[in-house]
Amino acid sequence: MRKNILIYMAIMVLGSLFFNVSVFSQEDITAVEDSAFDVRQIMRPPVPFFHDEHNEKAGVEECNICHHTYEDGKKVEDDSSEGMECSECHTLEDKSDPAPLVRVYHLQCKGCHEERKAGPVMCGECHIK
Amino acid sequence: MHGFYDFVSGPLVWISFILFICGSLYRLITMAVLAKEKDPMVYAYMDFYYAIRSIFHWIIPFGSVNMRRQPAMTIVTFAFHICLICVPLFLFAHVILWKESWNISWWFLSDGAADIMTMIVIGSCIFFLVRRLTRPEVRYLTSYSDFITLAIVAAPFITGFWVYHQWIGYKIMLIFHILSGEIMLVAIPFTRLSHMIFFPFTRGYMGSEFGAVKNARDW
Repeated sequence: MRKNILIYMAIMVLGSLFFNVSVFSQEDITAVEDSAFDVRQIMRPPVPFFHDEHNEKAGVEECNICHHTYEDGKKVEDDSSEGMECSECHTLEDKSDPAPLVRVYHLQCKGCHEERKAGPVMCGECHIK
Repeated sequence: MHGFYDFVSGPLVWISFILFICGSLYRLITMAVLAKEKDPMVYAYMDFYYAIRSIFHWIIPFGSVNMRRQPAMTIVTFAFHICLICVPLFLFAHVILWKESWNISWWFLSDGAADIMTMIVIGSCIFFLVRRLTRPEVRYLTSYSDFITLAIVAAPFITGFWVYHQWIGYKIMLIFHILSGEIMLVAIPFTRLSHMIFFPFTRGYMGSEFGAVKNARDW
């Protein structure tokens, strides 16, 4: 009986590992994309972004360094927002004006790169034709 | 490259805007004082109605006899000036930079339109260059500084076109692009580009003298 439970648990653990790897892996994230951007309005190509490679190089370990959550204007340190699109919180009031959303994306990427003096900061370094 | 980029896109932008605005005010004030000292009649003859009437005729394409006599020059110069002012102000990439830094934004051009308008500016600069070299009456009035001024105007557009298309040497070209824009801004009050700030006054005075004194048209 105990042996059966052990096998059952082993299957569950292995299964959840597999589940984790296949569903939550960031390896297949290769571009910064957001469904809120109107395709007809996009004037620069989307930014190639290799999630795991980037974070390894940048030494980013905590998810919420990028996937942050804010409450009353203050960052919630032990919460994170991975799996959400930026535009879910940074909503576009006027769909024809992408500038506010572009701004937060730029501040997120370029802002950090400028702070750390590492990574691309010029338009064409990310938006490669 | 980070250090370079930060410098040209940070402190140098401030310096060039301050020099542009203060330089323009300085030129306007010193010119006003000079006119008061040397030619006070300018103030006596200046007339708002005739000034506006003249400016109106000269900012409408083919609104003056001279413009109708020089149709090629008229078309090129109007296209050039419109594109020259609109592209830097309404380019999406520039609007986004304002949005990032100041959280303000305004209407922008599509990149395709801006691309064509940039080509119009560059093409016009070539036209002006050839005109200065080949037309005897223009050549006579041309000095070396005019070629330098033309280069100052063309440079931000040539480098901007280059970086938009991401041709070879993108990063250094972008630095040149920002630098050349700053040079142009600073050059406005201190070169012949100052016609941008003096135009309403010189045209306005001509209109006033012709309209109120000579009872004639100046267009």
